[in-house]
Amino acid sequence: MKTTTMKAALRKRKRITREELEHLSPSPSSASESDEGEDLQAIFRRAFEAKFRPLEVAPKKPKMEEEEMPKPEEPEEDEETDWSGISSDEDGVEIIEYSDTHTRNEEAARSEYKTFMSSKPPTTSSTALAAKLKPTAKDPEDPDEATHLKNDLALQRLLRDSHLLSTSTSTTPSSTLLATGSTRHKSTDLHLLALGAKASIHVQKRMPMSHRKGITAKAKEREQTRRKEAKEGGIVLEKETRERKEFRGRERGVGGPGVGRMMGGTLRLRHGKTYWAASPDLVSLPNGRKT
Amino acid sequence: MAAEDPQPLLRFTGHRHLTTRLLLSTLTGRPIRISQIRSTSPTTPGLTPHEVSFLRLLDAVTNGTQIEFSMTGTTLVYRPGLITGSAEGLGAQGGVLRHEITRECAGRGVSWWIIPLCILAPFSKGSVNVTFWGEGCITSSTPAGDMSIDSVRTAILPLYKGFGIERNIEVRVLKRGCVPRSGVAAGGEVQVVFGHQVRVPKTLHLLNPGRVKKVRGVAYAVGVSGANNARAIESARGVLNKFVPDTYIFSDVSAAPQVESKEKGNPGGKKKGAVGFGVSLVAESSTGCLYSADVASPPTGGVTPEDVGKQAAYQLLETIEQGGCVEKSAAETVLCLMAMGSEDVGRVALGKDVIGDEDMVQLGRDLREFGGAGWGLRDKGEESEELVVSVVGRGVGNVGRKMA
Repeated sequence: MKTTTMKAALRKRKRITREELEHLSPSPSSASESDEGEDLQAIFRRAFEAKFRPLEVAPKKPKMEEEEMPKPEEPEEDEETDWSGISSDEDGVEIIEYSDTHTRNEEAARSEYKTFMSSKPPTTSSTALAAKLKPTAKDPEDPDEATHLKNDLALQRLLRDSHLLSTSTSTTPSSTLLATGSTRHKSTDLHLLALGAKASIHVQKRMPMSHRKGITAKAKEREQTRRKEAKEGGIVLEKETRERKEFRGRERGVGGPGVGRMMGGTLRLRHGKTYWAASPDLVSLPNGRKT
Repeated sequence: MAAEDPQPLLRFTGHRHLTTRLLLSTLTGRPIRISQIRSTSPTTPGLTPHEVSFLRLLDAVTNGTQIEFSMTGTTLVYRPGLITGSAEGLGAQGGVLRHEITRECAGRGVSWWIIPLCILAPFSKGSVNVTFWGEGCITSSTPAGDMSIDSVRTAILPLYKGFGIERNIEVRVLKRGCVPRSGVAAGGEVQVVFGHQVRVPKTLHLLNPGRVKKVRGVAYAVGVSGANNARAIESARGVLNKFVPDTYIFSDVSAAPQVESKEKGNPGGKKKGAVGFGVSLVAESSTGCLYSADVASPPTGGVTPEDVGKQAAYQLLETIEQGGCVEKSAAETVLCLMAMGSEDVGRVALGKDVIGDEDMVQLGRDLREFGGAGWGLRDKGEESEELVVSVVGRGVGNVGRKMA
C-alpha cells in the first residue's frame, strides 16, 4: 500500500514540481502556497528517507534548481510563463492523496511483507515475539551477564595466547597481557585454525620450488638437531611421526589385475571392494567394465 | 477388497454437506451412498459440475477409489481408496497433479476444493502437490461464500501448526482470477503443496482466545488499477485503526489472466479473463487465534473500493464478535482434524454462533455416523458466550503411513 502511494507521490512530483515553481517564479506564490510547498517537500523527504538514508538538513536551494531542471536549453523567460500556466491549472485540480499517516519502520514492513505475502502460511507473530522476548530475557541480569561474558572471553583469549606471549616476552619484555604486532597475527591465526580454517594464513601457498625445498630442508634440519640435542641431554621427546605414503591405487599397467593389487603373489583387495566378489553380476567394476 | 469384505454402506440423502461427507468417508475408509441429490429439481437434478469436479479430485489423490453414479446423477456410491497424494504414475506429472476447473464450475471459488484437500493431505501416503487451473478457477472470494485463496493461506493453513503439521506447506498463487461475468473465464491458477504427512495429528487444546493484537490483510486487484487497492485499504483501515493500531494491509496488483479463446478463426488466440478487486483480512489474537474476513467486488461491478474495504472491515469485526478460538470458516478443518487425532480428548472453545451453525451441527452428526464418539459440549463460564467442545479422536490416523 505504502509503495503505491509513494509511487503516486513521486509521479506527481515530476509533473507538478511545485517547489520548482516557487523558486523560479516569485510572483504568484502566496504565503499559504509556500506553506503547502514546504509540506509537500517534507512529505517527499520523509518518503525518500524512509526508502533510502536520511538526507542532510536544508539542501542548498540554487543547487536543487540546477539539478531538477530537466531542460537546460530553454531560456528563463519561457520557463516563467510555463510555470505560471501550470499553477493556474493547479487551482482547479483536486489532488487526493492516499497517504499513510501511520509511521512505520520500513525495514520491518519489508520483512513483514516477505513473511506475509510469501507462498507459505505466515508464521504467527514470530518476529514480534522475538523482538519482545529478547530484551526481557536480558534486562534483569544485564550488567552481570555482560561483564561475565566479557571476562570469560578475555580469559579464553589469554589462555590461548599464553604460549605466544611467553615467547615474545623472552625477546622483548612487555608487561601487558595483550598480544601485539606479530604475536597478534599469530594469535588470530590460531583462533581461525581453532574455528575451522583449512590452512594457516602464515603458510605461503605459491613460491619457487627452490624456496620450498629450502624451507622444508631447514625445518627438517632443525627438527633433527632438536632431537639430537634432546637425546644427548637425556630428554624424552614426543614420538616422531613419519609421513605415510598415500595409497596410490592399483597399478595401471598392462597385465595387472582388474581390481586390487598383486603383492607377493596374492591379490589384495581392500575391505570395501569385497562386495564385488559377493555379487559379481550386480556390480560393475570401478573402471566401467561389467564382470 | 470390497468384494471380499463388503462394509455396509452409510446412507445419506441430499446434496448438502457433500464435500464433508466425502471427506469423512475418505478419511475413515467407510463407503457411502448418497441419494436424492437435488432429485426434486426440475431443471438441474443430480450433481453439479463443481461437485463432479471435486469427486474427480478425490479420485486423483487416492488410489482404488470407486465412484458410481446413477443415470440421473441423483444417487452416488463412493467407496474410498487409499490417499496416495500426488504419486507418480497415478495422474501426476513431475510430482504435480494438474486439476482443471472448467468454466461450468465457476460457481465456487478454488478454496472450495482446496480446504477439503488440505484436510485430507496430512493423512496422505505421499506429499500432495496439486495445481488448480482452468477457466473456472477463481482465487478471489465469491458470492457463494467461499473465501479467497489469501485467506486460506493466512487464516486456515496456520491452524495446522496446532496439530503438529507445519513443514513444507505452501499455496502459490500463480495467476489470480476473479468471479467472472457470464461469457468470461476466470483463468486463475493456484498450486497447493502439502508436504507434511503425519501418523496422527497432535491433540489440540485451545481454550483461551486472547485479545486481538494485530490485523493483516491482502488487497488484490486483478486487471484493474492498483488505486482500487489503495482506496479499499484506506477505508478498511479507517474502520480498524481505532480498534487495532497494528493494522497493515498489503497490496497485490496483477494483470488480468489471459485465457485461451476458443474461437474458430483464431486458434491460438488469448482472451482477457475476469477482472475485479477485493480485500482479505486476518486478525490475530495474542494466543494465536485467527479470524478472517473476505469481500470482493461482484462480477457485475458497480461497487466502489471504499465500500469493499469498509465491508471487509465490518465483516472482520463481526467474525471477532462471534468469539471462540476458531472462526466459522475454519471450524470444519479444526474439528475434522481433532476427530482424526489420537484417542484422547481435545478441547476447543467455540463461539455459540459458530457451533450453532447448521453446517457444524451436521458435521457433528455425520462424524458420529462415521463411528466417532460424538462431541461433548459445555459452557465455558457463567456469562461466557463460548462453548467448550470436547472431541475424542479416532486414534486410527494415517493408514498409508502405518503400512509404509
